[in-house]
Amino acid sequence: MSVIAPNFKLSKFIVAILGDVFWILLLVVLVGIPAIFIILFYIPLPVINGDLLTPFLALSWLVNPTLTIPIVKAFMTTDIFRVMAFPGFGFAVLLAASVIFIERKMMAKLQLRVGPFYCGKVEGILQLMGDGLKLISKEIIIPAKADKPLFWAAPVLFVATAAAFVALIPVAPGWVVADVDLGLLAVFAVIGFFPIITILSAWSANSKYPFIGGIRALFQMVSFEIPLILSLLGVVMVTGTLNLSEIAASQSSFPWIIFLPIGAIVFFITMLAELERIPFDLPEAESEIVAGWLTELSGMMYGLVQLGTYLKLYAFAGLFTVLFLAGWHGPMVIPPFPSELLANGLEMGPITLTIDGFPLFTQEMLNGTLWFVIKTMAVIFFIILPRGVFPRVRVDMLLNLGWTKLIGLCFVNIFIALGLIYAGVLGPGGLQ
Amino acid sequence: MADVAFLALTVITIGSAIAALEMRSLIYGSIALMGTLGGIAGFFLLLDAPFVALFQLAVYVGSIAVLILFTVMLVKRELIFKKIEDKRRKFAGIGLMLVLMVALGAVFVDSGIKTMTTDEPSVNFRDIGADFVTYYWPALILMGLILAGSVTGALVLARRVDEENDQRIN
Repeated sequence: MSVIAPNFKLSKFIVAILGDVFWILLLVVLVGIPAIFIILFYIPLPVINGDLLTPFLALSWLVNPTLTIPIVKAFMTTDIFRVMAFPGFGFAVLLAASVIFIERKMMAKLQLRVGPFYCGKVEGILQLMGDGLKLISKEIIIPAKADKPLFWAAPVLFVATAAAFVALIPVAPGWVVADVDLGLLAVFAVIGFFPIITILSAWSANSKYPFIGGIRALFQMVSFEIPLILSLLGVVMVTGTLNLSEIAASQSSFPWIIFLPIGAIVFFITMLAELERIPFDLPEAESEIVAGWLTELSGMMYGLVQLGTYLKLYAFAGLFTVLFLAGWHGPMVIPPFPSELLANGLEMGPITLTIDGFPLFTQEMLNGTLWFVIKTMAVIFFIILPRGVFPRVRVDMLLNLGWTKLIGLCFVNIFIALGLIYAGVLGPGGLQ
Repeated sequence: MADVAFLALTVITIGSAIAALEMRSLIYGSIALMGTLGGIAGFFLLLDAPFVALFQLAVYVGSIAVLILFTVMLVKRELIFKKIEDKRRKFAGIGLMLVLMVALGAVFVDSGIKTMTTDEPSVNFRDIGADFVTYYWPALILMGLILAGSVTGALVLARRVDEENDQRIN
């Protein structure tokens, strides 16, 4: 049996720890506390609930954590919470990570395999974390003749653009990072950046396979952007607004997919092409050109591009939900917060615990988020399902589909929308 | 605040325009051109015209810049132009640009831009759209016909009859 530390003695270990504690205490007393007081002297202390936030108050919050709930609530209304956590990046990354796991498991079941199984005891639930750690710890290899600034910048730009896309998607009433009045146009502007980043990344690697993949990605994305934009014009005509929150709110009684099914189908197909998913995964065709434009990316650069891809997947699915599947609308399933708990507090024998500031979220917001997540996950399921079913299409078939059939169907959809408006079914005087 | 944003946008726009002209690497030149076009989109945002700004981003940065990048990548640089560069041409170019800018500036200053009130509410793009379909409808129809004609022409030009090829059928 091998011994990790043969000269280990418990007494020496304890002495070393005590020595460390002594020095830390000495430094805190001599340097840390004066520094804190000097800083406290200069910074203006915030006023919270009418009290000046002194260190004593902060310590009393540590003793009674329920007192911090109003501060948490105040923090949740700030922009930084929206960008970092809830409708923004954190929420989207969480959904994207679960999508990666579900996709691997589902593909395995479709192909009669097991999929990730060993990592994390239960059905390989920690596989994703293991993959992430592996990617972070791997060496980043840059090709010798690569254009280094562009090669480094491309993955970061990809994730940033995908995050900008995520920021435009409304999740629940009032819960959106950027409530732009021209939200749909902003979506088109953001989507236009993906082919640029792809082709720059592919070119800067200075290698054959990435370049072929990048040119394929460019062809595919640019030619499918036109049916993508045209297929959404029907919804804009029917609702009369470009704001995504208003479009979602306008579907309180019925989703637009009932009236504009052709637009929804065309948008779904263009979505598959923009996301480079099977059957349109020509840019990453692994049996022809190694990994397409991702070939030379290694380590966390590849990880970032994958993260951006799945953020984009979530954002597109969320956009489909907002535009065609009524966004956050759905039957109220979340029970209301028990009102006697607010009035009387929680009685536990002799102790009565009253908590100020509850509930943290309103019932509408929780319900809306639940329905949005369910619908988005359903759309994502239908996006990843063709991967187990369809083969890859040829380039000429892809371009033919994009430039002739889909654009024709888009115009059919626009005329259906116009007909519905002029016939008085929708719009002023109609159903809405 | 708007002044800081305006100055930053000006520096970005003019700086990247100069870079687009002066860069030896054509790829970096096209990226700098993207910066110029994006800076102009920023100017539109500052002028309370988000509609135009977003179209500037979607069309110029998203499509035109991609086309330029694509062309640059596919064509060998040596075939495009020969290096003819001397001081005289450079200074002549700069002088010509200055003359043009002064002339354009004089036209702008004369056009009554000084007497414009700046605190008016921004024009809603819906009003512009309503004007287009009511008062200016002949112009709209003319534009639509021209665009439809050019799209049809492009389709006719791009269409070619494939030769019989057993591999490609079905």
